[in-house]
This record gives sequence, structure tokens and C-alpha cells, in this order.
Amino acid sequence: MAQDTSTTTATAPGGGGHPLARYLVVRAGITVLLLFGVTLTTFILTNLIPADPVQAVLGEQAAANPEIVAAYRERAGLDDPLPVQYFTYLSNVLQGDLGTSQQTRQPVADELGRAAPATIELALAAIVVSAVLGIGLGLWAALKRRTIIDQVIRLVSTVGISIPLFWLALVVYYVFFFQLGIFPGSGRLSPTLTPPPDVTGLYTVDSLLAGDLPAFWDALSHLVLPASVLGLYTVGLLTRFARSAVLEILDQDYVRAARAKGLPARTVVTRYVLRGSLVPIITVLGMAFGSLLSGTVLVEIIFSWNGIGQYSYAAATRLDLPAIMGVGLVVGMVYIGLNFIVDLLYGLIDPRVRVS
Amino acid sequence: MPQLTRRAPSALVVALAAALTLVGCGGSSNDDSSNDAGGDDSSARTLVVDASFDLKTADPGRQYETTGSIVTKALYETLLTFDGDDVTQPVDGLASYEMSDDDRVLTLTMNEGHTFSDGSEVTVDDAVFSLQRVQGMMGNPSFLLDGVTVEKTSDTTLTLTSDEPYPALPFILPNPTLSVLNQDVVEANGGSTDESDAAEAFLNGESAGSGPYILDSFDAASQVVFTANPEYSGEAPAYGRVVLRNVEGETQRLNVQAGESHIALDLNPDQVAQLDADSVNVIASASRFVIFLFLNQDDEVSTVTSDPDFLEAAKLAINYDSIVDLAGEGAVRPGGFIPSLFNGALDAGAGNQRDLDAAQAALDASGYSGEQVTLGFPNDITVQGMSLQSIAESVQAQLGEVGINVTLAPAPVATELDAYRGGTVEFGLWYWGPDFPDASNYLAFTPGELVGLRAGWTVDDDPTVADLAQAARVATGDDERATAYQELQVAQNASGPFIPLLQPAQNVATATSIESISLNPVWTIDLGKTR
Repeated sequence: MAQDTSTTTATAPGGGGHPLARYLVVRAGITVLLLFGVTLTTFILTNLIPADPVQAVLGEQAAANPEIVAAYRERAGLDDPLPVQYFTYLSNVLQGDLGTSQQTRQPVADELGRAAPATIELALAAIVVSAVLGIGLGLWAALKRRTIIDQVIRLVSTVGISIPLFWLALVVYYVFFFQLGIFPGSGRLSPTLTPPPDVTGLYTVDSLLAGDLPAFWDALSHLVLPASVLGLYTVGLLTRFARSAVLEILDQDYVRAARAKGLPARTVVTRYVLRGSLVPIITVLGMAFGSLLSGTVLVEIIFSWNGIGQYSYAAATRLDLPAIMGVGLVVGMVYIGLNFIVDLLYGLIDPRVRVS
Repeated sequence: MPQLTRRAPSALVVALAAALTLVGCGGSSNDDSSNDAGGDDSSARTLVVDASFDLKTADPGRQYETTGSIVTKALYETLLTFDGDDVTQPVDGLASYEMSDDDRVLTLTMNEGHTFSDGSEVTVDDAVFSLQRVQGMMGNPSFLLDGVTVEKTSDTTLTLTSDEPYPALPFILPNPTLSVLNQDVVEANGGSTDESDAAEAFLNGESAGSGPYILDSFDAASQVVFTANPEYSGEAPAYGRVVLRNVEGETQRLNVQAGESHIALDLNPDQVAQLDADSVNVIASASRFVIFLFLNQDDEVSTVTSDPDFLEAAKLAINYDSIVDLAGEGAVRPGGFIPSLFNGALDAGAGNQRDLDAAQAALDASGYSGEQVTLGFPNDITVQGMSLQSIAESVQAQLGEVGINVTLAPAPVATELDAYRGGTVEFGLWYWGPDFPDASNYLAFTPGELVGLRAGWTVDDDPTVADLAQAARVATGDDERATAYQELQVAQNASGPFIPLLQPAQNVATATSIESISLNPVWTIDLGKTR
């Protein structure tokens, strides 16, 4: 790998430094512009809503009291013209200050810092489940194409994509928690347990770091149902893409050549078929992670999972502008970061991308 | 294909499923029966309460929400309080009280023996500081003490003085927002009695009160954890730890039924009907909320609804009993805009009654010719778990029976609130939760007042009702006040733009391990008195 890259560097046209460095600089510039666009779009859209945040925050009597309204507007900076409000926000963001929630009067960065690990833990578990199952099932279906196994997997993947997430979450909660009692109910940890000392914010990791195995098992068991629900849609999506990608690769000459050479099946599948089909799969995986983030809103509400989904729902319904902006910024950063990682992975997996 | 390709993916899937099931069975807390978590040792027992949060803060002086009141009631004490769910008579809390004959001066004498969680004594200075802080911070609840001067008059007494008679004051003081805080602790953490107060962040992390619990952790979006206050001067709470969790209604039902939680606070009638009575107890009682319709009397907003005959037709066409039935067991119909729980409430029989013939005659007299009337209401909130959408649909069908064409216009509360408070809604469906349990809070529904103006109802529109409102405002003594407010409501029912529909039920489901709970319309539930 390293040798390939250096070869590319030596022959890269145009000069002007290491191509990877140039690429990173360009991407960083684009990232800044994109994040600026995210904040601007969120700010404009939120302010287009025909509603006054003051009315959403203050109670019946307080909203009718001019003194209280004036004090609130001044404290929240709502008296400034919109462009001034936006540029004040932007300059604060550049200093790491995401503002103060109009509802809770707590720093948005702190609140997101508390909510983000919960969602990250959930999304990571969901993406692991869906990647393993989705790629595995897709590969299996492709290798068994036009058999009953293929048909069943395709049917299951279609169902997985079609089922409404909130309905599935309720059914899964009802069956596996309420009826069968296999998995625990609401939240990230049983209420009788104390959360592990905060290191990463991920309860499974932190409990292991603290050597608290009961808490680890409890956190892990709480993770299973919401992560499975969240992952099911992605499993369906990944299965379909993985199947078609593998089918395409199976017809390639180099795969036939590998088989003709008498290479073991394991080598053919892992080194030739799977690797060749990874580029489209990774693209879908990146997109799927985005779907997971949006899907967490409903899943987090039903499973009482105190992550960004629950936070963003509360922020949106209460018209909490700084909180909405904060969520937009964080989700935007995740998307952009993810795209960047996917692009780097392309180069890692496919030498043609690396050369270009 | 060779063997590997046949077996590997299937084996992977099966292994993953087995692992997940193993994790579930091995780590599930569902079988440890939290109903009796901790056995007989109260300090080890954990009480789990599920609620739909509207929580913003644990700072008593800034909170003004249902969940905020539950939280602060557990952490702090007030100068006066109510005994159980009886809100018709305030009783001693941290102090005893005496109201002057003209209802202008309330004298409070501190009771001895109350201590904060740090062991220091609750003093009159703490009480004065706490009330002045609420006034000075200009937060949501500041209006409660508008026009009131709070003064320390001796080492054990303080007075609350108002220029106008303020007979509701003893009913306002039990509100948890007027809790007494430890002045030294709060001031040391940024507290003050003006807008510069910065103690909220501290009070969201630690409590500074004398209530049955102290704050262990606070997350406004997900859960609040309390531990018992060893310095509490009252009867020690039965549970050493309480976890109050933010859980949506349907999940609350499943949790309490499965024993995952002990108490579910926000179940709607449909969810209550699905509970298994053998494993869960349900307390269904009329809530403090009144759901009402209003027809705008401003003819610039609507020439249809501002017509008195059209207004009368609408009142006579509503099937009140059917709407109360819709809300399930425990819901009641108030006779006027004052809920049945408070002094001055009217019996349902004294309210408007359905009479389709009379409604038709009134509609004919109004000259109504089938114009669409738009009914606006918030559709993303529930009142005691009840959606306003179902009530709106009933109203639409019932008015349709006499030929009134209603178009439903549901909207998110954030946007609908603007139009409602701005007085631009033609026909509205809203609810009112009292700021304090006294009839005077409902003067807002009279001509020229807060809610009256939202319905375009000015003093000039109805001077008779305005005079009755003034008479009620200055009435003194329980009996005289009750009579004045009842007369006001009868007149309001006859000519006013408001149509009180129902008080939805407050349904609280408890596990069978819970022996007793203490509910109250002001703070919903007193966690410290759960046994």
C-alpha cells in the first residue's frame, strides 16, 4: 500500500506538494464552507417558521408581562436584527461556544456533549449489526442466486426497508421486553444501577474500563433492542446493495480467472469478490449511517434513550433555536466527516481511485 | 460454490442472533423485579417513576412546568402547603400564616425545627431571599408575586404586602416555584435577587433545600435521580433513591405493567383500558386542566363567530356529555371555566346544555349561510395524555348536525401559540392549567383580560360580565367569593365566547407494591410521600 502511494506521489501531475496533503487542504476548505452552509440554512429555515420563540418559552402570564418579555428578549439576544444574531452566533461558534439553550439555559455544547455519546453508542452498535448482517446476507444471497435462500433474503431485505421504524420499535419493545421479558425496557441502564464513571460517555466502554461487569452486561442488554431496530432498515439496504455488487463482481473475468487457477473458495470470495464489491458497499454504509442518525429520533423516544434524537425532538418542538442550530452543526459535521472517511477508504480499497 | 460460501454467512447470522439473545437473557434487568428492589431496607429501595417530561430546570425560582414542580417539590419545602389533594385550604409548611382583614398583608411566622440538607437551620432570611429572588429574576413565575412587597419583620416573621387586596396569596405560596432555598449556598454560587442571578447552573447540579430528597443527578431531557435527605425534618421517605424518567405514554404503560417502573403518570384513557387490573392499580381523577372552545368576538377576525346568535347556536349544538365520555373514566365536565377542584366551581348542570332545535333557531337568526369556520388547535401536544385532535373531530361532527361547517386546522403548538395569544384565531380549541388553585386565576377569562382579549372580548363588548368579574375580584371570605365567582360563570356561560368542555382525567398507574401515593393538582405527585 505505502509503496503504491509513493509511486503515485512521484508521478502526480501538477506538482505543488504531496497530493494527499493537497487533497486534505481542499477537503478542509470544503468542510468549512459546508458547515457554514449548514448553519446559515438552519438559521434561515428556523427563523422562517411563523412562531415567536418567546411565546414558546414563556408561560401564559409571563408572556403577557412586557417586563418579563423584554428581560427575556434581551437575555436571549432576540432584540438584535437577524443578520447580527447570525454573525454573533457564528463568531461564538468559532470560539467553541454553541450558545445557550433558550429552554434550559444550559450551554448547548454541554447538552450535546451529554447526548452525543448515547447516540454514538447506539448508532455504532446498529451499524456493526447491520454491516455484519447486511454484507453477510447480501454475499450469501449472491452466492446462492436464484435459489430459495436468495429469494428469502431478498424478501426479508425488502421488508426491512419497508417497515416504518416507529412501528417496528413499538412491536419489538412489546414482544421482546413486555411479552417475552428477554430484554430490558427503557433507557441505557437499569434504574437500580449507577452509571459508570464518565470516560467516553459510552456506557458499555466505560463500565468495562471501570471493571464493572454487571453494568457492562446491563448496558449491553439495553443496547440490543434499539440497535437492532435501528439497524434493521440498514440491513435491508445493505443486503440489496451487497447482493447486486457481489453479483456484478462474480461475472468479472478476474474472478473467473482466479477460479480457473484453482484458488481455494475462501480466497476467491474474500480477496477477489468481497474486496471488489466493497466500494459500492462502503458508499451505502456511509449513507446508511446518515439514515441511522435521522432514525434515532423515533427510536430514542420509544426506548427513552437520552441521545441526540430525543434532544433534537425536544429542541424542534419547543423552537429552541440555539439547540436546533447545535444539532444541525453536529449532524452536519458527522455527515461531512463520514463522507471524508468513505473517500479515504475508497483509496485504500481500490488502487484505481488512489491513482486518480 | 465450495463449502465455505455455503456455511460462513449463515453461521455468522446464527452466531450473531445467538449472541444477542444471550446478552438479553444474561443482562436483562427485567427479571430482578424492581417492584421490590432492595427489600425492606428503605435506604436501598429505588422508586422508578415514568413521566412525559416538559422539564427545563431544577431551579425552583425559574421552573414553571409540570415536571419541574414534581422535581422541586421533592427537593424543597414551601412556606405554606396543601394537605394531600385538598387545595381548598392552605396549611402550615415552613411557616404558619395570618391574613389581614383587608386581604392586603399576609404575615408568616417561621416554624422551628426545619433544616436544609447541609444541616443548617431554615431561617426567615432564607425565606425572604427566596421570594425576592423569584421576583427579581424576572423569570416565568415572577408574576406570581407581582405588586407584593416581601419584608422581614422580625427574626421569625415576614410579611407579604400588596396595595390591592390579594386573597389568593395563601393559595399561591404552596407552589413549589416559591420554595425556600438555602441563601448562603445559593449566593455562594451566583445567586441574587435580581436579573444578574446565575445560580441556575449550580441548582441543576445540586439542591439547596430542606425537602425529603436531595438532587443526585439532573438531565432535563432524560431523567432526574434523587436520594433521601438525611436532614429532612418530616417523616423519612420510604425510598432511599428515586429515578424520575422521561418516557412516552405507550412505553409508560408497558413499563408499569411489566414491573420495570412503579408509577406511570401520563396514561391516556385508551392506555388505561389496556392495563391488567391484577398487577397494576389505577387512580383516575379529574385533572386541573380545562379544555375549552372559544369563538372570536372581534369582527375583524371573523364576522361569523362574532355574531351573538351564531355563538349561542354553537353553545347549544355541542354534545357535552359525549365529549366527556370520549375522555374516559375520571374526566368530568366543569359547569364554568373554574375546574371542579376549586372553591367557586359550578356544577355541570349549571353549564350550557345541548338543544338542537334551539341551536338551529339561533343559527337561522344569525343569518349564517354555510361559511367555513376554521377551528385552530395544537396537534403535537396532549393534555393528560389526551389529544385535542379527537375532541376537535367530535366538535366538527356535532356542529355539522345543525349545519355549521367547520374546517379543522391543526398546527404545531409553537406556531399555533402565536396565533392564539395574538388573538387572531377565529375558532379555537385550547386548554388552561391554573397558575394557582384559586378562582381568581380564572379572571383571565373575563372581558378585557388576558384570555378574554385572545377571543376579542373587550369590556365594551360585555360590561355586565366585566362588572361581575370586578365584584368577584374584590370579594372577601370563602363563601362570598364562591358566590361571586359562580354568578360570574353563569353570566359568562350565557354571553361569553368561551365554551368549557371538560377536565380530562389524570390517570396514574401504580405497581401493586406501592401502598399509597400523594397526588395534588399543583405539583402532581409528592414523591416524598410515596409508600
